[in-house]
Parts: sequence; structure tokens; C-alpha cells
Amino acid sequence: MNALALKSIALETSRGNALGAYFTETRFELTRMVRNPGVAIPVLAMPIALYALFALVIFGEAIDKDANVGVFMFWAFSLMAVTMPALFATGVTLALERDMGLLRLKRAQPAPPAAWVVAKIVSGLTLAVLAYTPIVIVAFAAGKLSLDAGQVATLSGALLVGTIPFCALGLMIGSLVSGPAASSYALLVYLPGCYLSGMFFPLPRSMDWQASIWPQFHVKEFAMHLAGIAPHREPLLVAIAVMLGCTVMFAGVTIWRLKQKG
Amino acid sequence: MNNTISSENRLHALDAVRGFALLLGVAFHAALSFMPGWPPGIWAMNDNSPSQFLSDAAFVTHIFRMSLFFFVAGYFGRLLYQRLGASAFWANRGKRIAIPLVAGWVVLFPLISLIWTIGITKVFGGTMPPMPEMPKVPGAFPLTHLWFLYQLLLIYVAAIAVRSIIARLDRNERLRGLVDKAVTASLQAPIAVFTLGLPVAAALMSLPFWFYWQGIPTPDQSIIPQIPASVGFGTAFAFGWLVHRSRDALSVIGRRWFVHLVLAMIATGWLLHTMHASPMAQPGVTKTLFAMIFGVAVWGWVLGLTGAALRFLSNYSATRRYIADASYWIYLMHLPVVAAFQVWVGHWPLHWAVKYPFILIASFAILFVSYHYLVRPTFIGQLLNGRKYPRKPLSPGATPAPASPPPEDANNGGPVAQMRGITKKFGAVTALNSIDVEVRRGELLAVLGPNGAGKSTAISLWLGLIEADAGEVTLLGGAPQDIAKRRGLGVMMQDVELPKELKVRELVRLAASYYDDPMSVEETLRRAGIEPLANRAYGKLSGGQKRQAQFAVAICGRPQVLFLDEPTVGLDVQAREALWTSVRRLLADGCSVVLTTHYLEEAEALADRIIVITKGRVIASGSVDDMRALVARRQISCDSQIPLDDVRAWPGVVDAQRTQERLQITATDAEGVVRRLLAADAALGRLEVRQAGLNEAFNELTREAA
Repeated sequence: MNALALKSIALETSRGNALGAYFTETRFELTRMVRNPGVAIPVLAMPIALYALFALVIFGEAIDKDANVGVFMFWAFSLMAVTMPALFATGVTLALERDMGLLRLKRAQPAPPAAWVVAKIVSGLTLAVLAYTPIVIVAFAAGKLSLDAGQVATLSGALLVGTIPFCALGLMIGSLVSGPAASSYALLVYLPGCYLSGMFFPLPRSMDWQASIWPQFHVKEFAMHLAGIAPHREPLLVAIAVMLGCTVMFAGVTIWRLKQKG
Repeated sequence: MNNTISSENRLHALDAVRGFALLLGVAFHAALSFMPGWPPGIWAMNDNSPSQFLSDAAFVTHIFRMSLFFFVAGYFGRLLYQRLGASAFWANRGKRIAIPLVAGWVVLFPLISLIWTIGITKVFGGTMPPMPEMPKVPGAFPLTHLWFLYQLLLIYVAAIAVRSIIARLDRNERLRGLVDKAVTASLQAPIAVFTLGLPVAAALMSLPFWFYWQGIPTPDQSIIPQIPASVGFGTAFAFGWLVHRSRDALSVIGRRWFVHLVLAMIATGWLLHTMHASPMAQPGVTKTLFAMIFGVAVWGWVLGLTGAALRFLSNYSATRRYIADASYWIYLMHLPVVAAFQVWVGHWPLHWAVKYPFILIASFAILFVSYHYLVRPTFIGQLLNGRKYPRKPLSPGATPAPASPPPEDANNGGPVAQMRGITKKFGAVTALNSIDVEVRRGELLAVLGPNGAGKSTAISLWLGLIEADAGEVTLLGGAPQDIAKRRGLGVMMQDVELPKELKVRELVRLAASYYDDPMSVEETLRRAGIEPLANRAYGKLSGGQKRQAQFAVAICGRPQVLFLDEPTVGLDVQAREALWTSVRRLLADGCSVVLTTHYLEEAEALADRIIVITKGRVIASGSVDDMRALVARRQISCDSQIPLDDVRAWPGVVDAQRTQERLQITATDAEGVVRRLLAADAALGRLEVRQAGLNEAFNELTREAA
């Protein structure tokens, strides 16, 4: 079996094509995550813990009276579950790797430039799925969610797509600040967005104007549109355009910065 | 040689642009079943989920895609004419353009008619409405989307005719010289984007019925040349031709890409806005303005996209080459495929945002697979692209056979890495000052120098990590930024930590995945002498073992040139010897090595040549023996009262200094000087003689150099 395994490894590596590099890079990025779970555990545990606290304990009765409250709770913490790992897993590790000189080495090696970006985004998405799944299970098991399976499936897909701008934001932060500072800066950018976008509690009218500054707001609108959950605050195309624009802008800054500094 | 490289690079970029223009045509046609407000029957299908967004996107791409194609065609047209001469040019164009036009029409027209009949029947709920007949005008003919080949042939005829007239009138090339200057200057200004749009604007203004959306009306209904298309695409072709004539025009386009794109976007924004207000041109100011701004948009996009390609896509990429080769076949064949999918999905109860990507992906999948199996390895590929490639299985992401030769052939016999006249500054500090270095095939070049001398800057330039302020850097005959060239290098850098969670075996496997033909992991570990460390996590290794793992990562890709930046720092004697042995073996296999080091003995043990860099200049270079002579100086120190000036005058003394009681002498003939010292001063004490370290040798060399 060993000989066979070796042979397949030799075959795999001897092909050396671009796709192989993407695949290998992603695979080892995930391996690293599994072997060093310290980074991931907080972002995995927090959303489900908060959801359980708010949806089951604090607002449990309110949800039983008004199903909309349940839906609100569900997507708020789901959004948190998918966006947080996207931001933290990509940004913090990128910043640490820059400090290690690893990015400089990868640029010098013939590593396809986008391979590590893809690897980071895939690991961000994987963490997002891991953080989000328990919320779905708990919500259904506790009967706190009045959406049908189709809506939940669409919502899940939309939320995963919504992680992409956050991956790009994470990469931007990681490319701008040093390793130890990265998580603080990520929090600084992330938390105000959670509150001020109206994600956790309905905003007073006087603050409505600024909700659309935060990417969270547009990902929320995007997901609600696709899952057919009313009411909508902006058209679907606007939400898509903003998400796309944010991704392009953050990725652009990242690429510019890495070109300047490595 | 430099010129050859850069002109080849330009061709890669223009090939990419042409391929892009053609593939964009597929995306354009795929959008046409989703146009809101189109009457049924105008296209093969009217989808039940129309999209204003796709309508706008299609309009934007339609502004420039054919002009872009004809512009590149003009450039390549002149290139081909210069290269082949008149008769071979026509033979070539006959094969590549005329035969595909005729054969393509014969095969495609029935298919297209069939799909249209099915589609329109479906649109009208199962009954085929009476079709409008071809207009009864002379020359009427359904060219379909192959009109562009016909138009191109007409333009070739016109271009060659005009060329021969001008060649006769302008025998001393004075006129043509002026035109070349005007072309470059107008691009530089940049006013070309405004002036080039004027002819097409005039032709469009004169149209009695003009739907803004259609831009330049497609001449697909008649074999009589249509004025707007002939003017618009003729201008594009002519300007491409002139850009090829003019030596500097292309590099100006490459520099001005951003300005042109910004102008294009502003113009396009205005066009969209105006068109939404009224889609049909009414005679008057708006129509005139629309036509003028349409011209600006056309040329902003054409020049901007070409410039961006020259700026960002000028290196060789096997994938892009493959796509560019495939694009001609794909564009020729796409219409029935795309339309069939449009008809199929037209009544599905799904949003256009699902159906449109589906049509595109499915069509491209069919078209690329058909290209790979039916065209690339067969006479069709020979006919369309002038080349038949050996058959290879289509595995996902498999790099197709490169059309340009692999790096080792490109540069046989020449230096593997070179710097000419390189200057690099960091702020006020000049890290490298006009240096020339070359690395020859199969040699080990040791780069010595004190800290901050510029060694690492030189290596970073060769690795493509930074760009020089002046001069030219080449790696394996090309730019180090070109990833295809870097596949020929291996690198071990200073101050790099690899991921601590991964095992050594995994680190090697990851690095190997970047190369085309790497060694197996086992072979790499054996060569680096670290088989026992294979399954240890990198984070658990000692400092020396980490360097060994990095060395394995550097050699796994069978590099043609290996950069080792201070590789043996922190290694014990045994590990260092093992590393030296592997380096010697690589050299024996023909690999070239660039080694920076502080240890003279390391350079002595391995190097064929040594260069010494200090303060950004090469102050000495030569064989190991030459260098040995330079540093065969020794430091003598003793307590003695002999006057300094006397000592300085002795033969074999390079320099003498006194610090307090201590006399410090640098000597080339230490034994002679010591004999003389002892004879001259009976009270001499605490005598010491030692080999001058490299740093001292460097310091002296530097003083001498200054």
C-alpha cells in the first residue's frame, strides 16, 4: 500500500500543473488549520453559543409568539457565523505569514499567485460551514425557525457567497498590518459593522442612513432576497453590485500592497 | 536580443486581446435571448426572464469588441505582410480566412437555420409564423456571424491597394515618417481616442434609422460593403496597421492604458444614460453627440484594453496561449451551440442570473472540448491556427503543449541569469549602483560582501521580487516576473519561516506542485540528506534542520538555476558538508548556482567564480584563486614602539595602524614582516598573527575602491 501511495504521490506531483498547485496549496492550508485549531475554535464556538443564549434562553418565548423574531435571530447569528471565520481565518494568518517571510518566498518560487489566495478563501469557507452548521441544527431541533428547507438551503448558499467580500477584507487587513496586530484590527472593523448594520437589533430610524456603509448589511439583503424573506431595504442588484465592488476594492488594495511590500 | 524578447512579449499580449474580443462575442450572443422589449422572432429565443442588466452589458461589449478585433487584425496584417511578402500573404489569408468563411458558412448556415426555426416556433407557441424574406436588394445574402471574415477580406484588399499607392507616391518615406510620428504623438497626448472616433461618428450620424443599442450596424445581410461598418472597422484596421509601422506606438499604448480606460468608462456611462432616455436616435444634437461620444467609447476601450494587456499580460502563459488558439474555432462555431441552449432553457421558470451563466458555461464546455479533440490535433487546427499540436488527454487544468519553446531551449548556451547596468535605490540609499553580473550555465557564482552590501537586493531582482530603477535583469532568457521563467529556479532565502504545522515531506510536496517536472519527494529528501526528518513537523526542527528542509524545498523542482542566500548559517559541520555535497551534485547535473555567503571557505569549496559587492558596486570579481590572493593578507598585532611610518615602508606591508600601545599591521608576507619586527624591536611583546577575515579584506578592498 505504501508503494502504491508513493506512486500516486509521485504521479500527482509530477504533473505539476497549475490546478495541482491550487489543489495542493488548499489541501495543506486545511491540514494546517486542523493541526492548529487554536485559531479556529473561538470563531467556531462564539456564534453558536450566542445563538443558543439569545434564541433559546433570552428570547425563546418571544420567538414562540412571533416567528419573525426567530427568523431575525437565525440569520443574524448565521451571518456572524459565516463572516467571522472568513475575516479572521484569512486576515490573521496572512499577516502572520507575511511576518514569517513566507509570502516573499512564495512570490519568488513559481507558485501561481492566486493559489494561496484560493487556499485561504477555501479554508475561510470551510470554517464558515463549520460555524454555521450547528446553528442550523440547533434552530431546527429547537423548533425556533419557521423557514422551509428550500429557503434555508438558498439562505445557506447565499450566506456562503456573502463570505467572499469578508475574505477579501481579511486579506486586505492581513496585508496592511503586522501579525500580532491583525486580529485587533479585524475586530475593530468587524464589530461596529455588526451593530451598526442593524444585524443584531433593529436600528432606530435616525441611524438608518449609515447602515448601508457596512458590508454586513448588503450580504444580509442579498441573502434575504434570494431566500424570499421580506422586507427588503435595497434591490438585489444593488446588493450584488456592492458585494462585488467591496471584493474588488479590498482585493485590489491587497494586491497593490503585496506588490509594494511583499 | 532584448528587442526580440520584447516584441515577442507584445505578440503574446495582442494574441490575448484578439482571443478576448472573440470570446466576448460568445458572451454577447449568449445574452441576446434576454433582451427586454425585443419583439419575438428577432432572435432565436425570447427568454421568459429578460434582463436590463444583460442588455446594458451587451451594449457595452458591442461598442468595442469588433473594433478591437479589427485593430489587432490590422497590426498582425502588416506584420504578416512584412514577414511573408505579397503572394505568401494572400496564400496565408486564403487558408486562414477565406476557407473558414466558405466552409464555415456551408456547415453553419443550415444548423443556424434549424435552431432558429425550432426556437421561433417555440416562441410563437408551436406555430411557425411566416418569415420575412431576405430584402430584395442587390447583393442581399445571409452572411450570419461570419460576416467579419468577409469584411476582413475586403479590408485586406483595400489595405494592400492603399499601401501600394502610397509606396509609389512616397518613395523616400517622408510622408510615412510623419504619419508614424503623428500616431505616437496622438497616443501620447492622448487625443487619438477623440480623432479616431470621428470617421465612424460621421458615418453613424448619416444613418436615417439608428437604434443606439446596435452601435455600428452589423453588415451581415449583404455582400455589398456597408458604409458604417467599412468606415468603423476600416479605421480600426488601418490604425492597427499604423501602430505596427510606428516603432514606439505600442509602448505608448501600454503606458496609457489607464487614461484610455477611464475615458472609455466615462463615455460609456454617458451613452448608457442617454440611451435609457430614448433608445432610437432622433435627428438633432443628441444624435450627433451620441455618435461622437460613441466614437470616444470605441477607441477608449480599444486602446485601454490593448494597453492593459500589454501592461499585464505580455509574458508567455501556456493557458492564455491555449485559449487564444481556441478562440478562433470557438467564435466560428459558437452561434448554433449558444442558440440551442438559449432555445432549450428559454421557458424554464428560472431567473436569468441562473440561466445566462448556464448557457455560457455549457457552451464553452462543448466548444472547448470540441476544440481540444477535433481541432487542435487535426488538420482543422493546422488550417485555423497554422499549427497542429500532438494529441494529449484533456485532464483538468493540464497545461497544453506550449507554442513557444520551454526556457532551456530558449536560452541555450547563453548566461542563465544576467544583470546589465542595474541601479536600484531605496529612498536615498543606493543599494546597487550600475552593476553588471552574469551567471553562466553550470557554474557556481559566489557573491561575497559585507552586510548591507547589496547582495540580497541583487538576488531579489533575479527572483522578480523587486524591479530595478534602471538596467535590465534577465532570468533564463526572459523577465524574472514571468512565472514560466521562474519554473526554472529554486530558491532558499534568508529570514523565512515555513509553516510550522506541516511536516517536512509535506513542505516538499507543496513546493513540488509549483513545478512542471519535479523530483519525487523521496528523491528530494535523499538528495538534501534529510530522509530521517521526513515526518517531523517543521516547527519541531532545530535551526540547522530548518535550513536543510528549506534547501530540500529549493531543489525539489530540478532547478536550472538555484539561488542560495546564506544557506549554511546555523548548520553544524556535518550538515554543512552534506549540503555542499548536494550542491556539487546539482552542479554536475548542469544546474547553475548563485550563492551568497559570509564564509570564504564555503566559496572556496564550491565556487567557480566569485564576485565581491560593497556599497552597491562590484569591486572585485574573478576565480577562487584570484580572490584568495586578494585575501591572503594576514593581521599582525603586537606591543611595540617602532614608528608607524617605518613599518609602512617595509615590503609586504599593506597597511599599519596604532591603537594605544598596540601596533596593527596588514601584510601580504606575514613571515617576512614578523622576522623584521623581531629584529627591529627586542622589547616586542604579545605577538599575534591571524588570517584576515573576509570583512577586513572587504574593508580594505572598499578603501582601495574608494
